[in-house]
Amino acid sequence: MAKKTLEIYSVELSGMKDIEQTDKGNGKEKYRGLKNCFEPKKNHRKEELTKELDLDDHKLSIKELEKKYGTNIITGLSSAQAAELLARNGPNALTPPKETPEIIKFFKQMVGGFSILLWIGAILCWIAYGIQYSMNTSSSLDNVYLGCVLALVIILTGIFAYYQEAKSTNIMATFNKMIPQQALVIRDSEKKTIPAEQLVVGDIVEIRGGDQIPADIRLLSVQGCKVDNSSLTGESEPQPRSSEFTHDSPLETKNIGFYSTTCLEGTATGMVINTGDRTIIGQIASLASGVGNEKTPIAIEIQHFVHIVAGVAVSIGILFFITAVSLKYQVLDSIIFLIGIIVANVPEGLLATVTVTLSLTAKRMAKKNCLVKNLEAVETLGSTSIICSDKTGTLTQNRMTVAHLWFDNQIFIADTSEDNSNQVFDQSSGTWASLSKIITLCNRAEFRPGQENVPIMKRVVAGDASETALLKFSEVILGDVMEIRKRNHKVAEIPFNSTNKFQLSIHKTDDPNDKRFLMVMKGAPERILEKCSTIMVNGQEQPLDKNTAEAFHTAYMELGGQGERVLGFCHLYLPADEFPETYTFDVDTMNFPTSNFCFVGLLSMIDPPRSTVPDAVTKCRSAGIKVIMVTGDHPITAKAIAKSVGIISANSETVEDIAKRLHIAVEQVNKRDAKAAVVTGMELKDMSPEQLDELLTNYPEIVFARTSPQQKLIIVEGCQMQNAVVAVTGDGVNDSPALKKADIGIAMGITGSDAAKNAADMILLDDNFASIVTGVEEGRLIFDNLKKTIAYTLTKNIAELCPFLIYITVGLPLPIGTITILFIDLGTDIIPSIALAYEKAESDIMNRKPRHKKKDRLVNEQLAMYSYLHIGLMQAVGAFVVYFTVYAQEGFKPSALINIRVEWENSNVNDLEDSYGQQWTWYQRKYLEWMGYTAFFVGIMVQQIADLIIRKTRRNSIFQQGLFRNKVIWVGIASQIIIALILSYGLGSVTALSFTMLRPQYWFVAVPFAILIWVYDEVRKLFIRLYPGSWWDKNMYY
Amino acid sequence: MTKKEKKSFNQSLAEWKLFIYNPTTGEFLGRTAKSWGLILLFYLVFYGFLAALFSFTMWAMLQTLNDEVPKYRDQIPSPGLTVFPKPLTALEYSFTVSDPESYQGYIEDLKKFLKPYNLEEQKNLTACPDGALFEQKGPVYGACQFPLALLQACSGVDDPEFGYSRGHPCVLVKMNRIIGLKPQGEPRIECTSKTENTAALLTYPPNGLIDLKYFPYYGKKLHVSYLQPLVAVQVSFNATSSTVNEVTVECKIDGSPNLKNEDDRDKFLGRVVFKVTARA
Repeated sequence: MAKKTLEIYSVELSGMKDIEQTDKGNGKEKYRGLKNCFEPKKNHRKEELTKELDLDDHKLSIKELEKKYGTNIITGLSSAQAAELLARNGPNALTPPKETPEIIKFFKQMVGGFSILLWIGAILCWIAYGIQYSMNTSSSLDNVYLGCVLALVIILTGIFAYYQEAKSTNIMATFNKMIPQQALVIRDSEKKTIPAEQLVVGDIVEIRGGDQIPADIRLLSVQGCKVDNSSLTGESEPQPRSSEFTHDSPLETKNIGFYSTTCLEGTATGMVINTGDRTIIGQIASLASGVGNEKTPIAIEIQHFVHIVAGVAVSIGILFFITAVSLKYQVLDSIIFLIGIIVANVPEGLLATVTVTLSLTAKRMAKKNCLVKNLEAVETLGSTSIICSDKTGTLTQNRMTVAHLWFDNQIFIADTSEDNSNQVFDQSSGTWASLSKIITLCNRAEFRPGQENVPIMKRVVAGDASETALLKFSEVILGDVMEIRKRNHKVAEIPFNSTNKFQLSIHKTDDPNDKRFLMVMKGAPERILEKCSTIMVNGQEQPLDKNTAEAFHTAYMELGGQGERVLGFCHLYLPADEFPETYTFDVDTMNFPTSNFCFVGLLSMIDPPRSTVPDAVTKCRSAGIKVIMVTGDHPITAKAIAKSVGIISANSETVEDIAKRLHIAVEQVNKRDAKAAVVTGMELKDMSPEQLDELLTNYPEIVFARTSPQQKLIIVEGCQMQNAVVAVTGDGVNDSPALKKADIGIAMGITGSDAAKNAADMILLDDNFASIVTGVEEGRLIFDNLKKTIAYTLTKNIAELCPFLIYITVGLPLPIGTITILFIDLGTDIIPSIALAYEKAESDIMNRKPRHKKKDRLVNEQLAMYSYLHIGLMQAVGAFVVYFTVYAQEGFKPSALINIRVEWENSNVNDLEDSYGQQWTWYQRKYLEWMGYTAFFVGIMVQQIADLIIRKTRRNSIFQQGLFRNKVIWVGIASQIIIALILSYGLGSVTALSFTMLRPQYWFVAVPFAILIWVYDEVRKLFIRLYPGSWWDKNMYY
Repeated sequence: MTKKEKKSFNQSLAEWKLFIYNPTTGEFLGRTAKSWGLILLFYLVFYGFLAALFSFTMWAMLQTLNDEVPKYRDQIPSPGLTVFPKPLTALEYSFTVSDPESYQGYIEDLKKFLKPYNLEEQKNLTACPDGALFEQKGPVYGACQFPLALLQACSGVDDPEFGYSRGHPCVLVKMNRIIGLKPQGEPRIECTSKTENTAALLTYPPNGLIDLKYFPYYGKKLHVSYLQPLVAVQVSFNATSSTVNEVTVECKIDGSPNLKNEDDRDKFLGRVVFKVTARA
C-alpha cells in the first residue's frame, strides 16, 4: 500500500511542480490539470470497473455502434424496430424497489422481539385456561382475559408503531420522480418527442441544457455540453462531455452520458446504449436493493432483553414447578402454576412504553429536522461509532463558491459560508478595483429575472458553475452587477472554449472621460500569465519579472493544492489612438492584441463545506465517533475538504505529508507517525480485508476518494467487521447501497436523490450535517432512558411474581390477582415509565465514547439483578406487609393464613374460622381477598413512586439531577396515584375488576419501604461515585 | 451454511464450557471464587437485613392488634348459615334408608359436632335467662348452656341415628359466629321446601327459634366454651312408598331486621339451600 501511495503522490507532487506542462488539452483550468495527472494511474481502475460495469460502447466508432445496434445516426431507428426492441427489453424505467405490502409491514410490527414474548405469554394463558377448563368447567376466566389483554396490547402497539412509521414514510417520494418525462428522439428520420420510458437501445436522442439524460447514451456530437454527475460519481464539478473516447473506463470517458444525470448546458446528440435497469444508475439501484437491511442495535438489545426475561421466567417457572410437584400438587395444577409464573414475568406494558418512548424521540428529532423512517433507528445514531460521510452535498454545499483571491502578492480568504455575506478581505487596493471589474464584466452568467427579493446566494443563474460563483461573488460585494455591465457596454466577446482556454470581452468604460476600450480576460492561470507582460501590484502596473512569476506560481500551487479550481484574470486598456471609439472589433479575425496584458489576480473556487459541518465534526469527535469521508471525488479535493471540516485535523499528517515535509521517500516514513490517511478507490481495490481492517484500526482520520458505490459498501462492511455501528450519510444514487448496508443510513432531504432517501433510515430535512449531532445526542439519551424505563418496569415484576410463588409454596390466600397486576402494568405504571423518556442526561453524554456493541448492553446482568433481587424484593416485602396488615386487622393473623389456601378457595366451606373464632362465608372471604389484592396493589404503587424517582439517575444523586427538573415525572406520579384512587374508590364496587375500597391508612403502610428504597438507592449511587471501579461499582452500576 | 452453523455450535459449546469453568481465570459461572464469596456475602447481609426489617414491621403491626377482638369487623356484618353434617361435595345429602353404610358418615359427623353439646360438657356453663341478650363486662365471660334437648328428635339422644334409619333425616343449621353481633327482634331459622309437597319440615327448637341469650359472642379467647345455638331441621317425606324421595330445602334467618338473608352474590349470607335425597 505504501508503495502505491508513493507512486500516486509523487505524480501529484511532480504535477504541482510542472504546473505549466500539466495542461494537456482536455482540462479547462488548473485543477483539471492536476486531476489529469491521475489519469494514467486511474487505468488501474479499469479492470475493476469493467468487472462492475460491462460496457465498452464508448470505445467503438460510430460505424461500429450503428452496426451493433442496427441503427443509423441520421435516420434513427424505424418505429417498427423500436417497437420490437421495446417489447424485447421492456420500458426504459427503473424497476421500483420491491415495496413490502402494507399488510406485511403492519404484521411485521406485531412479530418483533418484544411482541413474540407477549404472544407466547398470551398463548400460554389460553393453554392454561384450556387445562383448567378440562379439569373444572366453571374455572375462572382470568387467564382468558389476560391472554386477550396481551394480544390487544400487541395489536394496539403494532397499530401505533405502524402509524408512526407510515407517517414518516409518506413524506418520502419514490424513485419514479427521477425518470425524465420526455425525450427528443430521431425515429424514421423524424424528430419526435416521446415519453422517455419508450426509449430503446439504438435510439438517437438530442439533449439540451437543463434536460435530464433519458438513458445511458453514447454521445455522437456535442456542442459545449456539461453534465452534473454528482449524484452518480460524487464529483461536484460539472463534467464536460465530448464525442471522443478519452478513457477506458466508461465512468471516466467523456463520450458517455448517464441516465438520470443532468445536462447543465450545451447540446448533444447521442445514441441510447442502455435502458432501464441495465443503465449504470439502474445497476447501482439494484445493488442497493440487493443489500439486506441490518438489524438495528436497539432491536438486538431488545432481543437480548427478551432472552434475559425469558430465561428468568423459565428458570423460576421450572424451579417452582418442581417445588409444586414435590409439595404434592397435582401435575396439571403445577403446569398451571408454571404457565402462571412464566406469564407473570412478561412485562406487559414495556412494549407499548418502548414504542411510545421511541416515537416521542422520533418526534423530537423531526422537530430538529431529523426525520426517522424506522422507529428503531432513533437509537442507532447514539450507538454509532463510525460515521462514513459522503462529501459532495453532505459535507459541502454542492455549489462552486469563490474561496480565495490572490492579488498584490497576497492570498485573501473569501467568505464561503452559505450566505457569503461576510466578505472581510481588504478591498481598498486599486488592484481589487481592477480585479472586481474583470470579474464583473468578463462573465456571461446572468440572474434569471424576477428574483429581486431572493437572497443572492439562492438566486437561479443561467450560466456554468464557475461563472455563477463569480457572478454571485461580485453581486454580493459590488451590488447590482447587471447595472455595472450596462454602464460598461460590451462591444465584443470571445466565449470560453476548450482550445483557447480563456474568455475575453471588450467593453466601453463607464468613465466618460476615458475613451479607451477595456479588454478583460479570464482563464486557466498559466494561459493567462503567458499573455501578460505586466502585473498589477497595489493598483500600479509593474513589469512581470521572475520574482513575481515565482510568487504567482507559489500562490497557484497553494490554491490548486487545496483542491480549488483557480482562474487567472488580466486586462488591457486599448490605446485610444489605435482603437478609436468607432473601431469595429472582429472576434474571428482577432483584430486586437491578445498579448501584453496586465495580470491582475487569481481567484480560486471550491465547493465549500457547509458552515455547520466543522463544528459538528468536532462534536462527533469528542463524542468518540470516528468520522470517515468516503467520496467519489478526487483525492486532492477530498483531502482539502476533509482538512477544512476537521475530518483531517489541522495538525495531523498523512504519510505523504510527512515524506514531503522531511523530503524523504514515502517508504521511509514511519507509518505510526501518520494519523491521517487518504486512500483512493484503486488502492482500496488492491487491499485484502486484513489490510482494510488494519487501515481502519490504525488511522483515526481517513479519507476515501475516488470510490465506487461497491467500494463504499466494502468500506461500510469493513467498519462493521470491527463491531462498529456505522452511520452512512449521503445524497447521491451512488451512496444508496452503502446507505442501506449501514446500521443507519442518513440521506439529505433537500439535495438527496430519491434513491438515497429510499435506502436511508433517517433523513436530514435541512441537509444540515449538524443535525447528526442532535441525532447522536438524542440516541444516546434514549438509550440511557430506555435502560431506566426497563429497570423501572422490571422491578415490580418481582413484586408481582413473589405473591404467586408464596401462594404456591406457603398456601396463603392469593395476595394479588391477575387483573390487578394488569392494572399496574398497563395502568398505573405506563405514564411514569414514559415520563422517564423525558429525563435529562446525567452527564455530558456527548463527551463519552459510543457504547460498545457487545459490552454495553441495554439490559445487563447488573440491571436485572438490581431490579429483581434488590428493589423488586424490597417492594415485595413492603407490599406483603400491607397485605398482612389488612388480613390481620380483619381477623386473619399471618399465622392463621399459612396453608389456608385449599379451604379458603373452597366455595363449599362457608364457616371458615379466623384467628378470633369468627366464621366467614366463601364470599366474605373472597371480598377480603380482593381487599388484599387492592392492598398489595397500593403497596406496589406506593413503592413504584419511589422506584420512579430513583430511576431518574443511575449514578448521580437525585439531588444533583434535580427532583423537579423533569416535570413529566410528576405528572407520572400524579397519574399513578389518581388511577389507583379511581380504581379503589371509584370502581371499588365493580366486582369483575376485583378492586375494593381501602381504608386510608393502608395507603401509607408501604411508605416507609418506599423511603427505604430511595435511601438504599442513594447509598448505592454514593458508593458508585465514591469508589469508581470498585467491586460495588462493578456489581451495582447498571 | 451447515458447516458454519456446526462450527458456531461447537464454538458456543466451548463458550459455555468456558463460562461454567474457566481454568485460566478460575472463574466459575463467570465469577471467581472470591467474587462469588463476596456476592453471596452481600446477599446474605442484604437479605438478612430485609428479613429482619420484615419481621420487625410485622411485629410492630401485630402490636397494633388486640388479642381478643379484631380491629375491624366490617367485612362480616351479617352471619352466614351453614349446615351439618358437612356434605362432601355440593350441599346434597343422599342416602339409602335400608343401607346404614350410606348414612353412617352423616351420623358420625353429627355426633362429632354435637359432642361439645353434651350435658357433661355443659355443666360449667351458665343457665342464662331466655329472650334477652347476654351482655357481659368481663373480665371472665360465661357461655350459656344449650340444652341438647332443645333439638328434640334431632338431639341424638332418643334416636342415635338422627332419623336417617327411618327416612326422616335431621340436618343441623347453624349461624356463623361473629364477634359482637347482637341480633335484633326474634331471630329464627325459617325452613321451606322448595319442591312442592314432597316433604314436611320440622324445626327444633319449635319455630326454629334462636334465643338472644347466645349473643353477643366475645371471641375465641374470652368466650372460651361458647356454644353456638343450633336449629335442627327434620325432613319427613310425605310419600313413603316411592323409592326415591327428593327435596330441596331453603333455610333463612328470619325475624331479625339486622341479619340479612338476601344477597345476590353471597349465597350463604343468612340462608342456606340444601337437597336431601332418600332412597328406600
